[in-house]
Amino acid sequence: MEIQVMQDILGKNDEVAAENQALFAAKKVFALNLLGSPGAGKTTLLEKTMAALKDELRMAVIEGDLFTTKDADRIARYGVPVIQINTSGGCHLDAPMVQSVLPRLDLDALDLVVIENVGNLVCPAEFNIGEDEKAVVLSITEGDDKPLKYPLIFKESAVVVLNKVDILPYTNFNLEAATEDIATIHPGAMVLPVSSTTEEGLFAWYQWLRQAVQKKREGYSE
Amino acid sequence: MCKECGCGQTNGNTRLQFQVNGYAEENVHEVEKALLGMPGVMYVHIHADEGATTIDYNPAKTKLMEIMNVFASRGLEAAL
Ligand SMILES: Nc1nc2c(ncn2[C@@H]2O[C@H](COP(=O)(O)OP(=O)(O)OP(=O)(O)O)[C@@H](O)[C@H]2O)c(=O)[nH]1
Ligand SMILES: [Mg+2]
Repeated sequence: MEIQVMQDILGKNDEVAAENQALFAAKKVFALNLLGSPGAGKTTLLEKTMAALKDELRMAVIEGDLFTTKDADRIARYGVPVIQINTSGGCHLDAPMVQSVLPRLDLDALDLVVIENVGNLVCPAEFNIGEDEKAVVLSITEGDDKPLKYPLIFKESAVVVLNKVDILPYTNFNLEAATEDIATIHPGAMVLPVSSTTEEGLFAWYQWLRQAVQKKREGYSE
Repeated sequence: MCKECGCGQTNGNTRLQFQVNGYAEENVHEVEKALLGMPGVMYVHIHADEGATTIDYNPAKTKLMEIMNVFASRGLEAAL
């Protein structure tokens, strides 16, 4: 019986996710679900992305956070529209949460909506929120064994950003092994080693975003 | 689904154990990689010596036949 309830919740989530996706499609807005552990560097990557691309791409950010507005406050400094969703302790965003805030965005005036999910390498991967793609940020300090230990999120994500490569020399993280493991569990996933603080490698990330937005504008979808 | 907090789907993953004959040092790693790359395959463990092969996968995303083909196409005999 419990299982039945679970399936109802998930069925409902997927229904609403499809509605969100249809809205993004109608407005030709590329929606990115940004995932990763607490502290992997999702917000830092977003800050750099906004600084680099906000004059070129019309962006907005939806910030998923348990209780605080700390990340939304960081984003707001860049003059980009930002909406906070507090999950009140919930470990992931779901499609209805995202749907409830979409009316507050002027989607006609946007190219890109990035949704930073709650920091968590497990649960957010299970819930589609209507995104075009998922991207996961894995940081060097988390260890190179994480792709095989948390396979779902890596299977689901079109892009894996390997963040904090600036501290590679001080860790035992094996970049080659991690890249190979990601290619094993998700053949075709794009792996981008970057440092969101020194900005090393970020050009490739910007290029991926530019191309995704361009494709969406031209009417391709997944 | 996330067993810790109970959220997410009871995503229909199932764990099967195969008995596979014919593993050689050269192909074990390659078979493991091929299996792990399939949609819904979350975990693969191979005991190369005895041939016991455990696969955690989602039958809605990858068909049993496709898994059997991974073995067959490499000349391996697999049985459930
Ligand atoms: N050395 C180094 N530190 C980084 C890098 N990117 C982020 N950090 C630091 O890592 C810490 C966490 O970064 P955040 O961007 O807040 O991480 P997050 O993924 O948004 O975290 P949550 O929202 O809490 O899940 C901060 O102290 C950042 O300054 C990087 O590339 N190199
Ligand atoms: Mg953050």
